[in-house]
Amino acid sequence: MATLSLNAINKSFGSAKVLHDISLAIEDKEFVVFVGPSGCGKSTLLRIIAGLEEATSGAIVIGGEDVSAAPPVERGISMVFQSYALYPHLSVYENIAFPLRVQKLEKADMDSRVQRAADILQLTDKLQLKPGQLSGGQRQRVAIGRSIVRNPKVFLFDEPLSNLDAALRGDMRVELSQLHQSLDATMVYVTHDQVEAMTMADRIVVLNGGRVEQFGTPMELYHHPKTKFVASFIGQPNMNLVPATVQGVDASGVKVELQGGYQMVLPVEASTVNSGDKVEVGIRPEHVTLGSEGLEISVNVLERLGGVSITYGTIGGDTRFCASLPGDAVIAEGAPMTLSVAPGDCHVFDAAGDVLRRKAAPALVA
Amino acid sequence: MTDIATEYAATGTKQKAKSLPEAVFAWLLIGPAMLFIAVIVAWPLAETIRLSFMEAGLGGEEYVGLANYQDLVESRKFHQTIVRTFYWMFLSVALKLILGLIGATLLNAAVPGRALFRVLVMPPWIIPMAIGMIGWLWLYNGYFGVLSGTMMSLGITDGPFEFLAYKQSAFYSAVVADVWVGTPMVTLFFLAAMQGVSRDLYEAAWVDGAGRWYRFRRITIPQIMPVIVSMSLLSAIFTFNSFEIIWILTEGGPRGATTTLIVDTYKTAISNFKFGEGSARAVIIVILLGAFSLIYLNVLKYVNRKYGTK
Repeated sequence: MATLSLNAINKSFGSAKVLHDISLAIEDKEFVVFVGPSGCGKSTLLRIIAGLEEATSGAIVIGGEDVSAAPPVERGISMVFQSYALYPHLSVYENIAFPLRVQKLEKADMDSRVQRAADILQLTDKLQLKPGQLSGGQRQRVAIGRSIVRNPKVFLFDEPLSNLDAALRGDMRVELSQLHQSLDATMVYVTHDQVEAMTMADRIVVLNGGRVEQFGTPMELYHHPKTKFVASFIGQPNMNLVPATVQGVDASGVKVELQGGYQMVLPVEASTVNSGDKVEVGIRPEHVTLGSEGLEISVNVLERLGGVSITYGTIGGDTRFCASLPGDAVIAEGAPMTLSVAPGDCHVFDAAGDVLRRKAAPALVA
Repeated sequence: MTDIATEYAATGTKQKAKSLPEAVFAWLLIGPAMLFIAVIVAWPLAETIRLSFMEAGLGGEEYVGLANYQDLVESRKFHQTIVRTFYWMFLSVALKLILGLIGATLLNAAVPGRALFRVLVMPPWIIPMAIGMIGWLWLYNGYFGVLSGTMMSLGITDGPFEFLAYKQSAFYSAVVADVWVGTPMVTLFFLAAMQGVSRDLYEAAWVDGAGRWYRFRRITIPQIMPVIVSMSLLSAIFTFNSFEIIWILTEGGPRGATTTLIVDTYKTAISNFKFGEGSARAVIIVILLGAFSLIYLNVLKYVNRKYGTK
């Protein structure tokens, strides 16, 4: 297994620049997830690592070796595709053995490697079947099996779970995490699903418009988003962003008046804002509680999920606001409610979308 | 319980009563097509079979039993025609498939000007056969043809060479013209099949280190195999029955060198007014092609099992 470094990767398709100066250092045995909305360049970046796309400029270093100009097979990577890319005319055995056949491996060696992969992925009794006879999850495992047998330095996954239904996706997430532990391998995983990113990653790369917005652990991204984009992308339901005006700045933080009139003093470093500036206050839905004083919300839609009640409403007339409240909270659709939030849980973003550093952020858990 | 049972029984009867008009309706729907097929296929076929037992010409008809078939079985010339026809078919189809595969692979590759080449491959197929063949007649002409002229100027031949005047050269010249006409269709079908192969499969194989030839052999060919088999059957039947090309180029000559079964049948029945003998030949063509198709369909079944997804 190996480290993976990307040094100032740029990529343009014609005049369209899709990746801007991407530099990342991925540790040995780390599970890194590239996450971002459609078109953010995450799949292109993965394909550049794989060697399926050529970077316009920049270098890719795998295990200390510059592989920027090497063909995919010489990079020591293997890739699992979104479509699984299984050969429909070949049996499961032959699909898994394909890379080994290309290498012209001895039959006995090939058999044992395929068998080992099949054991790990519970495919032993499916080896003679064709992909068309398998379920989605089993096909996914065959695709992973094909990547395991090559003993690559780095595993690449391109949205491998997006073709599965929600329940199976949950199961496969757990399986992939276990696989990562058992193989002790460096893995790079692309997804647009922030839940996958949060649950599986050691570290997450949030990409937006071909740029790295932030690279950090899931909890770092959750508690210390550097930009409004990361803040709203990470977390489920999404963070609320309420427009506010700075009323004053002092040593304790920034005094703001939120849309709707509620005033708060937020403990953030206020070097970049002045009184009168427009900012946005980020409040996570799970950080509010029903109270007697605070944000005045008019409730539009209530989703009772049992354990929690997701409440959608508006604040100050037109800004949407979502709250995640206890399952049996007394709320009525169409009625107003008052929500309290601890100032320490709030995030403040300046007009450029950059965060004002929080003074008292919670300690990070691993 | 009884009520429910009675209700079910009643519903069942009701549905049965409904299904009868549905069958009638179905017959009404396919009736016109069946009538059409009966008139243009079944009746001529039956008439051909009837005529094959007759000594039939312009003068009238006389029942001769299996005499026409017996003549054919005993005729050495007819045996040669059968062998020639199959040779013609296998050679031409093999060339069409090979060229079609090469052409489709090139057209499928990301080369500059690909769209233009895709258009350029069409004319042999689009141009009316008669006009195309007149072009080939000129190409093969010894005195005015570009081929003969080129061969002379390169010193390959001393004087004008009439491609269609000698038994062997006429046969292979006709094969070339037939391949020219038939290859575009094969190419386009192969191209369509190749474009249906997911790009991910090639990329996955590339990541695994498979080279171009390996990918072609282990992915492209198996993936388009059902189309290759279907196309070779279609192409074989077209080639077996190919008439205009030979007729315009050589009329089956010189000395029968390009006479295939279909040309022989035409010459016998239409040129020589021997309708009975011609019909016997036509029936034999139907039997041969029928048997050939049966074998092919079994091959197709096997291929679908081997290369299919299940």
